[in-house]
Amino acid sequence: MSRTIAIEPVTRIEGHARITLQLGDDGAVEDARFHLTQFRGFEKFCEGRPYREMPALTARTCGICPVSHLLASNKACDHLLSVRIPPTGEHLRRIMNLAQLTQSHALSFFHLSSPDLLLGWDADPATRNIFGVMRQDPALARDGIRLRQIGQSIIETLGGKKIHPTWVVPGGVNEPLTLEKRDAMLKLLPEGLEIAKRTYDFFKTLVPKFKDEATHFGSLPTMFLSLVTPQGNFEHYDGLLRIKDAKGRIVEDMVPPEDYERVIGEAVEDFSYMKFPYYKPQGYPKGIYRVGPLARLNNAQACGTPYADVALAEFHMLQEESGPIASSFHYHYARLVEIIHALEMMERLLKDPTILDHRVRARARSNRDEGIGVSEAPRGTLIHHYRIDDDGLITWVNLIIATGHNNLAMNQSIRQVADAYVDGNNLQEGMLNRVEAVIRCFDPCLSCASHAFGQMPLRIELKDAAGRVVDTLSRS
Amino acid sequence: MKILIIGYGSPIRGDDALGPLVADRLENTGVPAGVEVMSRHILTAELVADIAEQDRVIFLDAAVDAEPGEVRCQRLAPDAHALSTMAHFLDPRELLAWCETLYGRVPESFLVSAGGDSFDYSNYCLTPIGEMAMEKMLDWVDRLMCGETSKLALS
Repeated sequence: MSRTIAIEPVTRIEGHARITLQLGDDGAVEDARFHLTQFRGFEKFCEGRPYREMPALTARTCGICPVSHLLASNKACDHLLSVRIPPTGEHLRRIMNLAQLTQSHALSFFHLSSPDLLLGWDADPATRNIFGVMRQDPALARDGIRLRQIGQSIIETLGGKKIHPTWVVPGGVNEPLTLEKRDAMLKLLPEGLEIAKRTYDFFKTLVPKFKDEATHFGSLPTMFLSLVTPQGNFEHYDGLLRIKDAKGRIVEDMVPPEDYERVIGEAVEDFSYMKFPYYKPQGYPKGIYRVGPLARLNNAQACGTPYADVALAEFHMLQEESGPIASSFHYHYARLVEIIHALEMMERLLKDPTILDHRVRARARSNRDEGIGVSEAPRGTLIHHYRIDDDGLITWVNLIIATGHNNLAMNQSIRQVADAYVDGNNLQEGMLNRVEAVIRCFDPCLSCASHAFGQMPLRIELKDAAGRVVDTLSRS
Repeated sequence: MKILIIGYGSPIRGDDALGPLVADRLENTGVPAGVEVMSRHILTAELVADIAEQDRVIFLDAAVDAEPGEVRCQRLAPDAHALSTMAHFLDPRELLAWCETLYGRVPESFLVSAGGDSFDYSNYCLTPIGEMAMEKMLDWVDRLMCGETSKLALS
């Protein structure tokens, strides 16, 4: 008798989603799906708006990562203007993106995932939360708060304390950096780097304990997509697209962002409002790939900063087999490497005297009908693509959100975890927490595709084929 | 005395902008020395470190469980059970519980809230009822900044 388990909502992620596990007569998992259950439609309601409104409009896609949309949108607008922004303007934008990456990764690691990592997947759900972490390791929890505060403080120093800053504009940024602000940001970075290094060293000691999870948490033979520099190194703001396959062979390299449609297609399924991007030459769903910290580190030859490069070398030793690191569990590790790199790179950029240059913005009117902006959001490659008419009004929009790229991989990861841990004849909370935890590895931001409003209790139901509830677990 | 005022809510959902707009008004009109004002979309984890350094914290928010325009002022206590399922946004009582657990101190804290009349899309724009509530919220903030706090009950 087949049965379905529904996990709704998935907790400790950004936004609302549901997971369903279809069980066969023997209690084994037959199918697993990750459903994005809400719809927003930004691409449609932006039509008719002036293109200069797009950074402000799309930044409202999400209260968690407005900076990422602000940057990708302004890059699309730069393309419409056909300008090359002044180097100092670009460097200031880079600092903001690195600060966003720092605070976002800090939240994911310290507050969303640490309850599982420190307390265990089978710990009592009543204590497997941030308060449990605070009791077990208050210094780690304080470090997480401080690291996030440092990232947020740099974003506010650059963009102002408004909820939706308008500092980044088409053509650059609208105000040069003052000496006082530069020094205030520089003062924060040594402490941030110490915290990041300390956390990284601590997590390295934990990783060997998670061999089983590393084997079953989305360890998939997928491709990896990210931006890289022209030299093939780590890139987060500009650069060119690279795709590596599961064996580490480069299948696409130095692809200009404007050519993304040649390599990326988007499929839809009837069980989710999130699209399913895929590598076009291999078709759907064979063209599965992953983005985000794991992909960026798998694709980069080097980070380009001292401590991060040491950590990158250690990252590549996480598995015995050669080739890219396959397990999605190692997204956690990759995030810590990226935090180290972000803090090192912000310091380097801020110490460069040209960061105080007054030329920070190129001014022009629209000189093209189509603009494409690509940057790396904390969760992966973010693509904004606009078309405008002669009056500069938007006629068409396509947004490929970082979390969306990972949709196929998240679905396959759920299936892999469920196969390994879920016994439909003896449902345990810890089994289902592992199913949720594999999603947390990707740190999905579902508000980028749906409005999060209110909260629901977690309820898991086991139903028979007739729809009768045969077992339940609940979490308030 | 160090006082922190945090107005929070979505600026594009009608009267949900009450918190940020009251905070912006205070910022624009000026506040006494020792008072810091913040606007936030949501309450997030890093605020705990700021809150822990204060003597008094005043949260400003819109309410969905009050009559439109009804303004309340409540004393807040730490509550570790006010847990968010998503952890990206937090209840003020949960933030205070984080303070207590991590830093061993909790500032005297208050929530000034007003019932919203509409939460439809807008842009930093309140309903007429929201506008009137804003003035009452500002009165409460003045009183709390002056230390009129002894008779306020715990929420």
